[in-house]
Amino acid sequence: MSERLAPLLRSMPLRLALGLVVLFSVISLISLAASFLVTQRSFEQAMRADLTQRMAGFRAAPNATAVAALVKAEARVTDPERMVLSYLAPNRSHFGNAAIARDDEGYHIVSLDQDSPDLKGRYLALTAVLHGGQLTIARSRSEIEALRGVFLNILGLSLVPTILIALSGGLYLAHRGARNVNAIAGTLDRLTNGDLQARVGMVEGWSGDLADIADRIDQMARAQEASVAAIRQVSSDIAHDLKTPIQRVSVHLQDLSDSSDLPTDARRHLESAQKELEAIGSVFGSLLQIAQIESGSPKSGFAPVDLAELLRTCADLYGPAAAETGHDVTTEISPDVPLVSGDRNLLMQLLANLVENAMRHTPDGTQIRLSLAFRDGSAVLGVSDTGPGIPSAETDNVLQRLYRLDQSRGTPGSGLGLNFVSVVARLHDAALHLDDNAPGLRVSLTFPPAQTS
Amino acid sequence: MKLLVIEDDETTGAFIARGLREEGQSVDLVRTGRDGLIQATTSAYDVLIVDRMLPEIDGLTLVKTLRGAGNRTPVLFLTALGSVDDRISGLNAGGDDYLIKPFAFGELSARVAALARRPAALEQETVLRAGDLEMDLIARRVSRGGVQIDLLPREFAILEHLLRRKGRVQTRTMLLESIWDIRFDPMTNVVETHISRLRAKIDKPFETELIKTVRGAGYRIEA
Repeated sequence: MSERLAPLLRSMPLRLALGLVVLFSVISLISLAASFLVTQRSFEQAMRADLTQRMAGFRAAPNATAVAALVKAEARVTDPERMVLSYLAPNRSHFGNAAIARDDEGYHIVSLDQDSPDLKGRYLALTAVLHGGQLTIARSRSEIEALRGVFLNILGLSLVPTILIALSGGLYLAHRGARNVNAIAGTLDRLTNGDLQARVGMVEGWSGDLADIADRIDQMARAQEASVAAIRQVSSDIAHDLKTPIQRVSVHLQDLSDSSDLPTDARRHLESAQKELEAIGSVFGSLLQIAQIESGSPKSGFAPVDLAELLRTCADLYGPAAAETGHDVTTEISPDVPLVSGDRNLLMQLLANLVENAMRHTPDGTQIRLSLAFRDGSAVLGVSDTGPGIPSAETDNVLQRLYRLDQSRGTPGSGLGLNFVSVVARLHDAALHLDDNAPGLRVSLTFPPAQTS
Repeated sequence: MKLLVIEDDETTGAFIARGLREEGQSVDLVRTGRDGLIQATTSAYDVLIVDRMLPEIDGLTLVKTLRGAGNRTPVLFLTALGSVDDRISGLNAGGDDYLIKPFAFGELSARVAALARRPAALEQETVLRAGDLEMDLIARRVSRGGVQIDLLPREFAILEHLLRRKGRVQTRTMLLESIWDIRFDPMTNVVETHISRLRAKIDKPFETELIKTVRGAGYRIEA
C-alpha cells in the first residue's frame, strides 16, 4: 500500500490539496478561537452583572436576620452545582447551600453534604459584608466550560468535511495525473526499448496541452520508425542483391572445378576460393536473417517450445563434434519447466551459436554445460563454459554486430554469433546476461514469466 | 526423370540445367513465371524447380495456381530469402521443399531425387537390409555378417534414415532436418562427426564400406 501511495504523494495535485487542507485548518482554528474568546468574555460579564444584581437584592434587606432568612429560602431551591449561596451571620451561625472555607491556597467552596464534601468545578464568586455578616454568591463556570466543548465541536464539524473533500479531490486529481503521465511514460519506455510501433494515441478526456504533447511524441515515433525501416530495407535489399552474384560465382567456380585438366596448384586456389565464398554466403545469410528478425513480424511463427527437448537435442547434436575438439558437453535440466512461447528454429540456432562459440574460443578439456532452470516463474536457459571467459569491460561490445575480441581474431567466426543471440533474445522478450562463470563465461537467457492462460 | 527449371537468373538456370542433364535427367528451362506456368500445365514433369522471385508471375503465385488447378507435381523452391517465415509461406503455398541460395549443386540434386521418389519414405518394412547388414526395427537390433553391433539411439536413427533411402544421396542439411529437426546450417561439422561414429561401428570392423561419401553432396548407402 505504501509503495502505491509513495508516487501519489509526490504528485503535484495531492501536494496542493494537502497544502490547502493545512491552510483551511489554520484559518478555521484562528477564527473559531477568536469568537470563542469573545463569547466567553461576554458570558462572564453577563454572569458578573447577574451576581452584582443579586447582591443588590440582598443588600436591600433591613438586618442580618432578614438576610439570613432570604439566603435560607433561596438556598433551599438552588442547586449548589449551579449557584452557591453562603451567609456567615454576625453570631457565627451559617446559612446557605454550601460553605466557604479558607486554607493556605485561598478560599474554597465546601459542600454541606457529608457524602461529597468537595464541590468540583470553578466558580465566579462575589463576596460582601452585610449587616456584620459575610455573604458570598458564586456561580458555576461550567456553562462557560461547556461553551468550549461546543466550539470544539463546531471546529470538528467544519474541518472534517473540508479535509475529506480536499483530500479526496487531491487524490483523484493525482491519480488522474499519474494515469496521464504513465500513458506517456509507458510509450516512451517502449520506444526506448526498440518498439518503434508504440504510440501514445488519443486518450479520451485529455486537455489540449496533453493531447498536443501526445501528438508530438507520436510524430517523433513515426519519423523514427520510418527512418529505421528505410535503413533495414536498404540492408535487406543489399543482402538480396548480393546473393545472386554469390550464387553465380559459386556456379563458375563449380564449372572450373568440374574441368578435369587443372594443375594441382590451381585446384588448391580454387578450393580455398570455394571455401571463402561459402563463408561469405553464410555471413550474408546471417546478416539477412538478423535484418529479417529485426524488421519483420517474426512472432507470427511463435508456438509453444519445449526448452528441455531443445537442450537435449543440442547436446546430442554437438556431443560428438565437441568431443573431437576436447570439449565435454553436459546438460542439467530441471524437471517441470513449462513450455515457452517462441520460434523453435531460432532458439535452436541461438543455442547452437552459443555452443559453437564455446567450442571455438575455449581450449581442450573445457566443460560446456547447458542448463535449464525455473526461477521466480521464469524459465532460465544457460550455456556456461570453464574457458578463459570475456573481460567484463567487453560484455556489451561482444553483443554488437561484427564485433570480435582481440583474443579471438585468429579463430574462425563471423562476429555475428552473439549479435544473433541478442537479437533472438530480444524477439522472445528474454533477458540476456553474460556473467563470469569463475572461470569462464556464463550466458543466460531469462524468459518472461509464463502467462497463465 | 523429366524436370522443369523456372529460374530468371541466366547463369544459375543454365548451371542447374546442365548439372541435371549430366546426371541423365531431361530438363526444360524457362525464365519467367508466365512461361513456367504454361510449361508446367502443358507437359507432365516429375519435379518442378521454381525460383521464388520471378518476373511476371512470382514463384509463390505460380505454385498456388498450379495447386489450385489440381496439379500435384512436387515443387522445390529456390530462394535468396531465407527466414523461417519465408520457408513456411513457401510450404504453405504448396511447395514440397526449399533451398536457399547460394546452394551447392549436390544439395539440389539430392533434394530433387528425394522429391521425385517421395512416397518411398513411407515403406512399412520392419527389417532393412544393405549387403550383409541387417537392421531389425522392432527388436532394435543391428548386425553385419551375423555380428551384433550396438548402436546408440541417435546412430540407430541415422542408419535407419539412410537405409530407408537406399541408393539416394542424403545431404548434411537433409539429415539435420530429418534427424534433429534443425533448419539452419551449423558452422561446425556436426553431421560429419555423427556419421564417422556410425562408420566406426558398422564399417570400420568390416571389409567393405556401406556408407559412401558423395563428394560435395552427402552420404549414401548403396542399394
